[in-house]
Amino acid sequence: MITNRRARAVTLATAAGLAASLALAGCGRDDATDAPAGAAPSEVAEGAAEGTITVWAMGAEGEQLDAIAEGFMAENPDATVEVTPVPWDAAHDKIATAIAAGDTPDVSLVGTTWMGEFALTGALDATPTDLIDETAFFDGPWSTTVVDDTSYGVPWYTETRVLYYRTDLAEQAGITEPPANWDELKALAEGVQQSGAEWGIYLQPGSTGAWQTFMPFAWQNGAELVEGEEFTLDTPEMVEALEFYNSFYAEGLAPAEADVAIEASFVDNKVGAFFSGPWHMSLIRDAGGEDGTWTVAPMPAQDSGTSFVGGGDLVVFKDAENRDGGWKFVEYLSRPEVQQEFYGLVSALPTTSEAWETGELAEDAMLATFGDQLEDAQSPPTIPTWEQVASVIDAEIEKVIKAGLPPADAASAIQAGAESIGTGN
Amino acid sequence: MTAAATTGTAEPATARSRAGNGPARRSGTSPARRRESRAAWILCSPFLALFAVFTAGPVLAAFGMSFTDIRSTDLRSPLAVGVVGIENYAQLLGDDRFWRAVTNTGIFVVIGIPLTMACALAAAVGLNSIPRLRGLFRVGYYLPVVTSIVAAAVVWRFLLQPDSGLLNTALGWIGVDGPRWLEDTTWALPSIIAMAVWRNLGFLMVVFLAGLQTIPNEVLEAGQVDGASRWQRFRYLTLPLLRPTLLFGAVITMIGYLQFFEEPFVMTQGGPLDSTLSISLYVYEQFGFGNYGFASAASYVLFVLIVGVTAIQFRLLREKG
Repeated sequence: MITNRRARAVTLATAAGLAASLALAGCGRDDATDAPAGAAPSEVAEGAAEGTITVWAMGAEGEQLDAIAEGFMAENPDATVEVTPVPWDAAHDKIATAIAAGDTPDVSLVGTTWMGEFALTGALDATPTDLIDETAFFDGPWSTTVVDDTSYGVPWYTETRVLYYRTDLAEQAGITEPPANWDELKALAEGVQQSGAEWGIYLQPGSTGAWQTFMPFAWQNGAELVEGEEFTLDTPEMVEALEFYNSFYAEGLAPAEADVAIEASFVDNKVGAFFSGPWHMSLIRDAGGEDGTWTVAPMPAQDSGTSFVGGGDLVVFKDAENRDGGWKFVEYLSRPEVQQEFYGLVSALPTTSEAWETGELAEDAMLATFGDQLEDAQSPPTIPTWEQVASVIDAEIEKVIKAGLPPADAASAIQAGAESIGTGN
Repeated sequence: MTAAATTGTAEPATARSRAGNGPARRSGTSPARRRESRAAWILCSPFLALFAVFTAGPVLAAFGMSFTDIRSTDLRSPLAVGVVGIENYAQLLGDDRFWRAVTNTGIFVVIGIPLTMACALAAAVGLNSIPRLRGLFRVGYYLPVVTSIVAAAVVWRFLLQPDSGLLNTALGWIGVDGPRWLEDTTWALPSIIAMAVWRNLGFLMVVFLAGLQTIPNEVLEAGQVDGASRWQRFRYLTLPLLRPTLLFGAVITMIGYLQFFEEPFVMTQGGPLDSTLSISLYVYEQFGFGNYGFASAASYVLFVLIVGVTAIQFRLLREKG
């Protein structure tokens, strides 16, 4: 009656632990296997790629990768790329199972927040510095590949959050420039509300993923999430950011509802502004939002104008049968011109700054905003326990907004929760 | 059980018990019987092998894991983990969210089971006494059981929508301002219970209907002749005769409800403020976080809970039988 979905996670975990139970007495943590980091990346052989390269990729990116691989195979006639599209929902478990079984593909796309976990299993190959040039990439996306000071992949495509707002409503309230700081953001929310929007702004009031909306405020205020091995989630900067976030609800500018169809609300004057990634541009147009009535703007700056960065990284596995071919394919995919071609196919934002300097990405003003924002965008720390820490942040944000928990207490609870979860090292 | 007694399986059992008496025991295992038992093992072995690999193995492995600090980062070396004894269990019992999940599950079970059983019994008795269209109604009530929970969740979300949902619109006609059902910490769990009752009612109804049809008409007629009213016939004849069926229904529903997962998973993700967090959802979350050892411990607590409550139920409902 009420089972199946759970069974999948359970099966996976039990498969991994099957042997553990049989030999419980004889086992114990071995420090050497715990620390895969530190080993210098080995070099990649010169010359063209050869043999079969197996690749797993998710979502629309996975479906379109075949088209991109044609170009690579033309350049490397002895190589064949075999792409297996994997749905995002199943991807994490599928990769985890493959790692447990030692039966991985050569290359896989990996969600940025999974990097810490997979890198610490010791299954990922360190990025070869002789082939991949770190400086070609934006810092934010690149940092998603770095675990314990070693890079284990290459950022393939990215997304970052910017401010969407209704310019027509803002102009009625006499606001003609995008907000430059927090005060102006508040003024914008008040302005669009006075001009007829039911709510000035939409911010996610808790439940899964709320931290992605909140965290930029903390970063903008100078907060750090982790320093060294220690969480620093209850600093004054963090509390202040929580207070600012909550002030939108306290002042009646933001709805405390989780279930809002944001693009429809935006077009129907229900919500005057919100923060989101590039996908919302087409969603707003599909919902009937006319160009000229809205725009995107970079994050308002406080100490900084930092935003959140996510996306997908390409990794090569240690168990890969064709490691060198795999890295060569990854290198091909991260060339600016290939990233531009890929943007043309699935609208995935490129991770190399050069790809943004020409073509549609440079000419479209709205898109260029995302490119500018990428210069100042952060990712959460690449620790394997991050998802769990994030769920604590989500829960405490919800308590502040819906149950009136004082922000300082929430920050202490987040810190305490994070400390008991640990960094997983 | 009655069916098993009439089939051939009872035959060898009685034969063996006869052979097992006294000195005849050793000579009793004739070559023919040994061949028979070998054939039995061969026929059983595919199931036994599958059971050992896919059921018993994982169950035991999970038990072992619950005493270690195994995490998702240990995938490549599942043996190189620390044994932490009962620390996972201690940590679990000290976690406020786990107790929140236990409380929610308790409320769900205590309110949900009687409600589901009462509704199912009412529907079954009603259907049993109407001569026509029985099949149509039976299909109607059973439909939610075979409907995908995801599709049902979409419909329920529409029904429960605060501003434009059917329920609140209907309440508006009679002047009641309905709450934000799924986003209100008071109403979220009752909404989920209502949905679970609706979903599981059909299955129990079919079971009860079958139970009702085994009650001989003569008994009820005899009651009628003795002057028992409709209610008295139901209370003193139908219900006692239905006790084994009710027990079965209660146990099956309870096992399902203690593990309730899908409704909050698709409707609320445990929110708002953990007000619909169930034990299963908690376990699922922990597996998702990669805390395999801790999550295994939580699963075993749930397992023990189910076994315990089932045992109590058997005692309570059997006694008077």
